[in-house]
Amino acid sequence: MGMVQLSGVRKFYGALEVIKGIDLTVEPGELVVFVGPSGCGKSTLLRMIAGLEDVDYGRVEIASKDVTEAPPAQRGVAMVFQNYALYPHMTAFDNLAYGLRRAGLARNAVDKRVQETAALLQISDLLKRKPKAMSGGQRQRVAIGRAIVRKPEVFLFDEPLSNLDAALRVEMRSQIARLHQELAATMIFVTHDQVEAMTLADRIVVLNAGRVEQIGTPREVYHSPANLFVAGFIGSPAMNLLPATLGPSGVALVSGPVLGGHSGTGEAVTLGVRPDRLTLTSPESAHLSGEAKLIEHLGDETILHLALADGGALTIKLAGDVALTIGARVHARIDMVGASLFGADGRAMRLEGARETEA
Amino acid sequence: MSRQRKATPSARIGMLTYHALMLAISAVFLLPFYWMTISAFKTNAEIFSNPVTWLPDPIRWENMTSLLTREDFPFVQQFVNSVFYAGTVAVLVCLSCSLAAYSFGCLRWRGRNLVFGLTVCALLMPTIVTFLPIYLAWSKIGLTGTYWPLITPFLFGDAFFIFMLRQFFMGVPRELLDAARLDGASEFRIWWQIVMPQLRTPLIIVGLFATVYTWNEFFLPLIYLQDREAFPLSVGLFTFQSQRAVEWSVSMMGAFLTALPMVALFLLTQRLFQRGLSSTGLK
Ligand SMILES: Nc1ncnc2c1ncn2[C@@H]1O[C@H](COP(=O)(O)OP(=O)(O)OP(=O)(O)O)[C@@H](O)[C@H]1O
Ligand SMILES: [Mg+2]
Repeated sequence: MGMVQLSGVRKFYGALEVIKGIDLTVEPGELVVFVGPSGCGKSTLLRMIAGLEDVDYGRVEIASKDVTEAPPAQRGVAMVFQNYALYPHMTAFDNLAYGLRRAGLARNAVDKRVQETAALLQISDLLKRKPKAMSGGQRQRVAIGRAIVRKPEVFLFDEPLSNLDAALRVEMRSQIARLHQELAATMIFVTHDQVEAMTLADRIVVLNAGRVEQIGTPREVYHSPANLFVAGFIGSPAMNLLPATLGPSGVALVSGPVLGGHSGTGEAVTLGVRPDRLTLTSPESAHLSGEAKLIEHLGDETILHLALADGGALTIKLAGDVALTIGARVHARIDMVGASLFGADGRAMRLEGARETEA
Repeated sequence: MSRQRKATPSARIGMLTYHALMLAISAVFLLPFYWMTISAFKTNAEIFSNPVTWLPDPIRWENMTSLLTREDFPFVQQFVNSVFYAGTVAVLVCLSCSLAAYSFGCLRWRGRNLVFGLTVCALLMPTIVTFLPIYLAWSKIGLTGTYWPLITPFLFGDAFFIFMLRQFFMGVPRELLDAARLDGASEFRIWWQIVMPQLRTPLIIVGLFATVYTWNEFFLPLIYLQDREAFPLSVGLFTFQSQRAVEWSVSMMGAFLTALPMVALFLLTQRLFQRGLSSTGLK
């Protein structure tokens, strides 16, 4: 269990700067999830913490020790990779034992530690098998075992579940959550999967193009995104971002209607509304109207994709199975509670009273 | 795939032409080998008899005993020399070239591509160009006449095999190396314990290439070695033929027995060659 502290960390590949100055503190015992679009530098940042990539500028501290220049094995970190990276020619036992042997543990101690870990992960009966003779889920468990067995300060996971099928992914997710509690370990977890991020994380770090866009609890990044990028990235289906102006009497949508509650001096803003904050209504009371272009019936909910008259698009998430046909004219009302407002610079503006839904 | 279905007539004609062509081409390559083999079991007179006999009758096994017992042709000794020479080179090539290939293919360092480019340039340098200064150096330290000048260079790798192996080393997943680094293994240990076991097939193939290449190597042993007793078979056969030009049947028996181990080696490892170079045994 240890703290991870990054200060001003930067990384260049040739002339290309892929990590552009990141400050981040991961508290002991915390589970932090990195999310961000492909190529934004999640893996690179994780590998810098692990010591697998050089840190060009800045400092990396683990458990209050400066490890910026330390080799990977002396940082007290263990990593689980997307493709498992088990040693293919070794049995599961040897895979787990390899690091312990390198650390100079006696044979008995190695045996004991491996058996303990195997019992914890329910892989005891796999120990004699080689990776080739295991299923994806079993391999992943052995890979996690290889990380745990060394009792590291910090666990690093780089998209460890993305090669598993949906059912197994859910199972492994809860197992990782369980391990996090049992070991009370510090964990950093990279994922593409929003649900994984929201359910596992104590805090989410949203990365974009080598920078941190926002750090916060899952509820914070979901309900009060710091900027347009986070607003568009977190949540599925994505938040509706509607161009508007902030006038004296409220937020005026381009299509006309004015939503009250806030006032400004006519500056251009973007109104962010989650798809589930829109409701169907009569034409007279509608804020927005459009034509249904695509209807996704998911059983317990229906997702409507509308084309607005001004050329924009709108996504609405409705509870239940709603009977609508493509081409239908749909009228929607915005619930301003829980809406976000972004200034011309893309940053979130304070919306008084809008945070009430969180309570 | 299509074996179940009946071939259409035009496809059948296509197959027939293909096989006929292949047979003709292999005949061109196999004929000299066949000629050598049958001549090894004939007397001199029979070799040159007219019309040509395509099967030796009777089979002259005595050619073999006469070859193996000759005073002026220490065949057995030379065979042992060849095995030693080819075997040592094969092992050294596998070790040194895979170390270099590990560095070029698995490690990242400044100037790596430049150094690799220079290494590949060495491929283009004919032996003839560099051999004189190198020969003079060896002769200064007085080691000509031994196998040292023939074997030592392979301690430092060989451009062709480094080039070949690098492709395979680049194919080893980076995460595998990273996992080993996190486990506290040194680079040397990763090379030996993690990467080498993955690349057994390419290494065996490189070893075989090196064996065949060295078995047939002629120029350097001819230059460096002086004693008949020290020659490998390639040079030994040549000297015997040039000195005893009339004894065709013994020469041919020598050539046959020289080629035999390589043919056997190829037949034994044919399956490796066929599947080996495409799949590296990694999933
Ligand atoms: N060895 C390298 N040389 C040059 N550029 C690299 C190298 N490795 C990564 N990059 C670049 O660095 C950036 C960040 O890569 P990284 O793998 O960290 O992204 P990521 O966020 O993990 O993406 P993904 O979600 O697809 O895994 C990318 O633009 C990538 O092209
Ligand atoms: Mg990645």
